[in-house]
Formats: sequence, structure tokens, C-alpha cells
Amino acid sequence: MSKLASQGPVLVKKLLAEAQPKFQTFLKYAKVELIPPSPADIPQIRAGIGKIITGARTGAWKQTPVREAWLNTLVTVEVICWFFVGECIGKRHIVGYKV
Amino acid sequence: MADLAAPVRVSPLIRFGRWGLLSAGILYGMFHQGRLSRKEAAIREIELKQKAIRDEKLAKEKKLASEREIKELESLAGIKS
Repeated sequence: MSKLASQGPVLVKKLLAEAQPKFQTFLKYAKVELIPPSPADIPQIRAGIGKIITGARTGAWKQTPVREAWLNTLVTVEVICWFFVGECIGKRHIVGYKV
Repeated sequence: MADLAAPVRVSPLIRFGRWGLLSAGILYGMFHQGRLSRKEAAIREIELKQKAIRDEKLAKEKKLASEREIKELESLAGIKS
């Protein structure tokens, strides 16, 4: 036990030293993929929404290949799941509300 | 994990959807939690008041039951009071 206590800070330092480059790689991807949309992207967002609406109206969605439809479904489900993650953060409890 | 692929440029619509729904979820969670805890506080208050009344009733019933029991035991043991 004393060995664990004495080695503790050394282990923590080693962990931090090893995690740094991995964290840098994560940051590299996060800066491109995870940033919230900037105001400059607003026209693109409107165009995207418009495309979805016209696609739904004209019936072009019936022409999409199944593979693309499947990918779209997966992305939609993932985006919807973020709402529930936000709800868990807001209610500060993972399953159910704690009153 | 030597060469990882280049980072993908995620479409802004998807990013907007993710972050928007995340913040909407956080707000909804806080709002709903506040509403439910207020309702629960009101119910707890009412229950507290009822508890006083209920405890009185229970104490009375217990007293009656114990007196009845004592009488039965006396009659069984043959003690005439």
C-alpha cells in the first residue's frame, strides 16, 4: 500500500504525459468536426433545410438509394439523441427526475 | 493508430442540429426538473399536514386496540376486574 502511495504521483505524471499527444489528436479532430456552427454558416444551414423540405415535397426522397436513406436515418437518430443527452444534463440525473 | 484519416468537414446543418438540440435538451431538462420539483414540494407539504392528522388517528386506534386486548387477557386469565 505504501508503494502505491509513493508511486501515485509518478503514475499520475506518466498518465498525463501519455495522454497529452492523444488529447492533441482529439483536439485536432474536434476543431474541424465538433465546433458549433458560426454565423457565417447560416446561409448554408438555410439552404440545407430548404433542400430537405423541397425534397420531401417533390417526392425525391423516394428516389434515394437505400444506402443513403439508411445513412440519413442514422445521422438523424444521432442528432435526436443529443436532445436526450442535454435533458440528462439539465435535470442533473441520468435516469429519471430526482424530486 | 499511426495514420488516422483526415478530419471530416461536418455539414453545418448537422452541427447546428446537434448543438441546437443539445442546448434545447439542457433547457428543457432544467425547466421540467424545476416544474416537477415544485409540484413535489407542494405534495410533500400536503402530506405533512395529513401526517399529523393520520398519526393522531393511528394513536387513538392503537390505544383502543390495546385496551381491548388487556380486557380479553384479563377474562382469559380469570381475573375479574
